[in-house]
Amino acid sequence: MGQQLFIFGAAFLGSAVEATEALTIVLAVGLTRGWREPLLGALLAIVLLGLLVLVFGQLIVTTIPEWALKLLVGTLLLLFGLRWLHKAVLRSAGVVAMHDEVRAFQDTVNQLGETVTRRDWVGFILALKGVFLEGLEVVFIVIAVGGPGHAWTAAITGGLTAAAVVAAAGLAVRKPLARVPENTLKYAVGILLTSLGTFWAAEGMGGSWPGDFLSIFALAGIFVVASRLAVTLIRRPAFA
Amino acid sequence: MRFLRAAGRELLGLFVSDWVQSGVIVVILAGGWLAVSRVGAPALVLLVLLLAAQLVWFALAEGRRSARRSPRQFPG
Repeated sequence: MGQQLFIFGAAFLGSAVEATEALTIVLAVGLTRGWREPLLGALLAIVLLGLLVLVFGQLIVTTIPEWALKLLVGTLLLLFGLRWLHKAVLRSAGVVAMHDEVRAFQDTVNQLGETVTRRDWVGFILALKGVFLEGLEVVFIVIAVGGPGHAWTAAITGGLTAAAVVAAAGLAVRKPLARVPENTLKYAVGILLTSLGTFWAAEGMGGSWPGDFLSIFALAGIFVVASRLAVTLIRRPAFA
Repeated sequence: MRFLRAAGRELLGLFVSDWVQSGVIVVILAGGWLAVSRVGAPALVLLVLLLAAQLVWFALAEGRRSARRSPRQFPG
């Protein structure tokens, strides 16, 4: 039960972050060029992403031995999670600017303003491309957290719930979701995915963790301490 | 074609932002694999500590690079 909840949480939070970025693009296109094409583009992207989850998810789980799957997915999850965590540390320390959905929205609107004389399929392609590319991360998160632990239902439900919640919020406010604490969410997801990746990679190596799945919380604690240590050290006056 | 290239870049970018850091992570995991097969569970502690240490190390390195580029933007 704890494992299912953890996987649901990781899939939900990771997907929510990416869904927020995709929503920003669809909103920018929809509000400036009309809704029909961008919504169709977003829908097609979601169908393509769903197919990717079904095809690759099934293929990976049925063809790769469990130890190799854990090692492979664990390694990829670790690389993926540490990349998010690294960025989150730099953002928390003020080295890299915080991600700003309002600015991303304005950039997309400006870009559309320059191409406004083109035909309507521009809106379709922009929404398709934006949702598909942002959604690739969701696909990876869902496959990676759901596959090795045989927790497809929890992972897919987490991803779909996040998409539904973000879409509903976007529909309600019709503005970029600037209040979503995206950087904090990315920090949390970075910790969750790095911990899960370390756990599975080590199990794939043949190691067994004390306390089994509960050790993930200890791993998360270690990565929280390490990342806060990095932020503190970077912020020291002597550092600059 | 441009769409496929963008998708390919996006896919690679999911796992690699700094090639050196990604290389170090893979080397730590490879070393961890070897150590786990010989020593067993105690090697896991070393594996986790090395992964945490590289996170701190590369964040500090990036922070230093950034501080050299624009010292006034730097907090503290």
